[in-house]
Amino acid sequence: MTNHWNDLQHTDCALIIGANPAENHVISFRWLTKARENGGKIISVDPRFTRTSSQADVYASLRSGTDIPFVGGMIKYALDNNLIHKEYVANYTNASFIVKEGYEFKDGLFSGYDEAKRSYDKTKWALESNPDGTPVKDMTLEHPRSVFQLMKKHYSRYDVDTVTAVTGTPKEDYLNVCKTFCATGKAGKSGTIMYAMGATQHTVGSQNVRIYAILQLLLGNIGIPGGGINAMRGESNVQGSTDFGLLYDNLTGYLASPKATVPEHATLAGYLAKETPVSGYWSNKPKFVVSLLKAWYGSNATKDNEFGYHFLPKGNKNYSHINLFKTMYDGGLDGAFFFGTNPVVGGPNAGKEKEALGKLKWLVAIDLWETESSAFWQKAAGSNPADIKTEVFLLPASASFEKEGSISNSSRWMQYRWKAIDSRGEARPDLDIIHELATKLKKLYAGSSKSADKPFLALDWNYGTGDVPDIDLVAKEINGYDLTTGKLLPGFGALKDDGTTSSGNWIYSGFYPEEGKNKSKNRDNKDTGGHHYLNWSFAWPMNRRIIYNRASADANGNPWSKEKAVIWWDSLQNKWVGNDVPDFKADTAPAAPGGTGAFMMNKDGVALLFAPTLNDGPFPEHYEPYESPMPNAFSSQEINPAITLFEGDFNKRGFKSDYPIVATTYRVSEHWQSGTMTRNQEWLSELAGHMFVEISEELAKEKGIKNKDKIVVTSARGEIEAYAMVTKRYKPFKVRGKQVHQIGMPWHFGFKGYATGATANRLTPHIGDANTMIPEYKAFLCDVRRA
Amino acid sequence: MSNQNKPDVKIRRFPKAFVWAHAINGIAFFALYFTALPMYTEFFDWLYPVFGGPEGARLLHRIFAVIFITPTLILAIFSPKFLVMWIKELITWKKRDIAFFGNFVKELFGFKFCHVKQTFFNAGEKINSILQMFCAILVIASGFTMWLPQFFPRALVQWGYVLHNIGFGLGIAVIVGHVYLSVIHKHSRPGWSGVVTGKVPAWWAKGHYADWYDEEVKQGNFPDLDDPKFKKEA
Amino acid sequence: MTKYMKYVDVTKCDGCRACMVACKNWNDLPADPQDFQGSVQSHPKVSADTWNVMQYIEHENGKGDLEYLFRHSACFHCTDAACEKVCPENAISYTKYGTVVIDHDKCVGCGYCVQNCPFEVISLKEYVDKNGDKYRKSQKCTMCTDRLEEGLQPACVTTCHTGSLEFGEETAMLKKAEQRVQEIKGRFPNAQVYNPQGVGGTHTIYVLAEKPSVYGLPENPKVPTSAVVWKDYAQPIGKMMLGATTMALVGAFVTNNIISRKNKDQDGGQGHE
Repeated sequence: MTNHWNDLQHTDCALIIGANPAENHVISFRWLTKARENGGKIISVDPRFTRTSSQADVYASLRSGTDIPFVGGMIKYALDNNLIHKEYVANYTNASFIVKEGYEFKDGLFSGYDEAKRSYDKTKWALESNPDGTPVKDMTLEHPRSVFQLMKKHYSRYDVDTVTAVTGTPKEDYLNVCKTFCATGKAGKSGTIMYAMGATQHTVGSQNVRIYAILQLLLGNIGIPGGGINAMRGESNVQGSTDFGLLYDNLTGYLASPKATVPEHATLAGYLAKETPVSGYWSNKPKFVVSLLKAWYGSNATKDNEFGYHFLPKGNKNYSHINLFKTMYDGGLDGAFFFGTNPVVGGPNAGKEKEALGKLKWLVAIDLWETESSAFWQKAAGSNPADIKTEVFLLPASASFEKEGSISNSSRWMQYRWKAIDSRGEARPDLDIIHELATKLKKLYAGSSKSADKPFLALDWNYGTGDVPDIDLVAKEINGYDLTTGKLLPGFGALKDDGTTSSGNWIYSGFYPEEGKNKSKNRDNKDTGGHHYLNWSFAWPMNRRIIYNRASADANGNPWSKEKAVIWWDSLQNKWVGNDVPDFKADTAPAAPGGTGAFMMNKDGVALLFAPTLNDGPFPEHYEPYESPMPNAFSSQEINPAITLFEGDFNKRGFKSDYPIVATTYRVSEHWQSGTMTRNQEWLSELAGHMFVEISEELAKEKGIKNKDKIVVTSARGEIEAYAMVTKRYKPFKVRGKQVHQIGMPWHFGFKGYATGATANRLTPHIGDANTMIPEYKAFLCDVRRA
Repeated sequence: MSNQNKPDVKIRRFPKAFVWAHAINGIAFFALYFTALPMYTEFFDWLYPVFGGPEGARLLHRIFAVIFITPTLILAIFSPKFLVMWIKELITWKKRDIAFFGNFVKELFGFKFCHVKQTFFNAGEKINSILQMFCAILVIASGFTMWLPQFFPRALVQWGYVLHNIGFGLGIAVIVGHVYLSVIHKHSRPGWSGVVTGKVPAWWAKGHYADWYDEEVKQGNFPDLDDPKFKKEA
Repeated sequence: MTKYMKYVDVTKCDGCRACMVACKNWNDLPADPQDFQGSVQSHPKVSADTWNVMQYIEHENGKGDLEYLFRHSACFHCTDAACEKVCPENAISYTKYGTVVIDHDKCVGCGYCVQNCPFEVISLKEYVDKNGDKYRKSQKCTMCTDRLEEGLQPACVTTCHTGSLEFGEETAMLKKAEQRVQEIKGRFPNAQVYNPQGVGGTHTIYVLAEKPSVYGLPENPKVPTSAVVWKDYAQPIGKMMLGATTMALVGAFVTNNIISRKNKDQDGGQGHE
């Protein structure tokens, strides 16, 4: 989230798209309800009329996988009707930048496409720069190759009729959405976009989010209260997990993993040169990287050995979930550790993921219960135990209430939690398990001179003696030390690239600035102004609650409006003041160089309407999902040209002739992800105890299905049986003149626990987004029949 | 007082089936009464432990409820003639039935009275029978709705409680009178042996149910007490 | 004594069902899994082990628009509670807060309250004691009276995150409800306060978005006439009749003895025996 949960109460309009927070991020409605009481509006855009839709002022349906046309049309609407915040756009985005000649967009393809590699040469999307490296700008935004004009041209194709013909949205509803949300382009008004997996789990997932960002930038909605683009995270600590390097191509703090395939990554200097932009806050990247290496390798990281850079693995593959399982399926992996993960329920094309597990020699599952994944070899999973050679170890883990530590929520708040009760039996916290594993392995490898063992031996593992690590030492390592004085660092501003500082995760540096002052333990619930509660927990970075809050003020440092003021320039004190921690250098005056660089992380300090960094184009463009019921109306490129295709048995593809119905998966309030923690809880299991498939009354009639009937849903990859939930909340779509049905189902179920049922992911495809490889769970084709 | 100056000839007033039916009915009634008492008023809550708690009381109540229904069946099966006669009696009302009541009150309180000639049942007994049957039907029918509420409309179940209450309230009042007259009141005492053994002294029958007695004499079923033979024996 | 009310604004409810879990948690109620209901609703209605149930209703309003309505359903805590009236054991009583509670030490499991509740929110459950003997008790929402006594709010109210549930003084809650109805009339023309007077008003009041019948609620619930006839007339009269009959017979016995003693003297035992 750019903003935070409490801040939702300040919004004048919440556009909820690709999310169903009333059911899946329930707490948001505490704040949205307040917003409504203050006159705020809620828009719900969803294929299905959800509980969120029931709370909305405006509901518009859209066919799964058509967010880009939907929002693209809104961009066109805002531009055509002059509803954008032009001053904001000119100052704080790269709208005025000039794209180099040679850039073009033709029939769904941007320049630089290599069909054989299914990838783009992004240098073809470069921006013009002055000899001093600064960008060439046209502040009138009139230059035909200005980002603004190119964008305008790009989205001129997204007219209301084309858009609604593709999305299946009734035109009246669509225009209502456009009108309601684009009204937040006025200064003094703010609109937020709230999204979740409904946006991201597509082959165009990254670009879905990108197009939300573009719309918000045009309306001047970033950096202000009640604004922003707010990703609602699906797990209490998924924000923390990604911050701490969970993503396969990240170290921590969103520092890229070095790759063997990038020649410059062969040395630390090369890596830093390649990855560090010339301007913007990321120009400090070497300090973050070197400090991270110092945190990990301690005294083994020296200037002479490039601070241990070579201890880092430099892979030559894509290590995303789908790729890992493909490798596993092909017999390329010996073993795996599963920390609270359950791909036999949660993975795409889960039937194949289950088969893949059988190719492992060993599997260590660390979980609260035996999951469908650690039980993949059992009869109940459809396996023949005699045929499976995998040795499975099940280590009991402690639940969150049984251990101490922090989680980071969607608001980026790092909140410390204390242990409430002791673990039962032999269950232990994940941290203890890893600690003991590391210390024991270190003993086993001790004295080895094999080069493969060196990185492990070089790890600085000093979290106390004994089997139980000192979690406070872990916390301090994250914050980082001044290695010369041994004192904790006040924040990432103090990091250095000469090996004299350490920090395990630079974005969290500052949360533990002094002995005894772990700010994630802060619990002062007094409003410090703007409902930011600055003394409650710690929000990265540097306790800022609304990031990019410099954009809440105009170029001169005055708030765009009194209502939506966050920080402003106080010329008497010569610093930025307000009710939030400035996301800006506190003493950089608006008139000073870089004084209007509201998006200080980015090169040139501007937000990117035109993003020459993504794999699938600088502007979001609509492509149909991997499996779609109709041809692409916008170009002859049917699917995202930059996605990796997996063919053959691992990922069978279905077509509309056999599978004419669009399907999507989602969650219910009561179940958590693959259901391991909730389907083993009786009170939650009784509330949502049955696997169901929601279908429209029209489709039910067509197929002779009655409510509560058992039905079979089939896709190219498998079939499942479930109860039919016939509902008025699904309506068939009118798509390019034809009727298209969509169905939806929860994906929580499996054969373990109290609430059992068929696994929806037996149906979903092994296909991922062009940038993140997140699987396309949200749009695929199926057919339905009575059981 | 002595019976010695009366002929001790006994005649069968009630068939055996009736004797059984009556006994079962009576026992069941009181069992039902006592098992329900603690629910009727808290004053009798001490009865719960006697019956094994509310569950025991409820179980007993239901067992006796079933038993309470059986007398009708016993009569219908073993003595249908009597049943038919009884019903006929109940629906036949003549002047003498009305005349009975004035004398009944006198007799009840021990004043001088004279017997108005009655058939098998006197008017008082007929009233008793009618009231008892009415109450029994009320109580039995409403009992079903209370026992098995899931099979009946809610309104019926709700009214069932009222009817059960009325049926039982009325029933107990009638029963008290009935029992008093048959067990305690001196003039009716032979009636008690009558329902226990089925037989009553002929003279008593003749006195209380003259028309019936005479009819039976005519049919040759009963001895004619006016026959000097009996007077001699006396 | 100030009475209190639980205020339920269904228009602020997002159907999250945290109230259901909080209730089970505080009252330590076991899970009560049901067959698939054909909607996301978990239980058809409240039961002995599930004291509040979230209703989910798909309703097409007058304009033909789809409304997806939710209602936290639980005991209404009537001011004139039929359950209290019909309970033969005086096991059901009003508390000083205005809540209606069942004393399980007194409850004998007769189920009269179950059958007479105009909202059908009381249920019987069979339990087994440690000797293996079965027994029954009526169960329903207590409005967490045990929490109220400790100065806490009902568990469902405490957990509600949208402010759909509130607990407070009667007058304040009623005022709030009236105000809220005015606020939402534009969106829900049929919106109304549901505080039925047929039962003297309730201590769980609702701001409903639609007519009560849309939620399966009686439009004009009252204490069943049968219960009034039964408890206010039949039972007292019955007791009176029993008394009167007994008195008459005692009288008869006494007079009989006196008169027959006299008669004996006069007639020398000329009566019937």
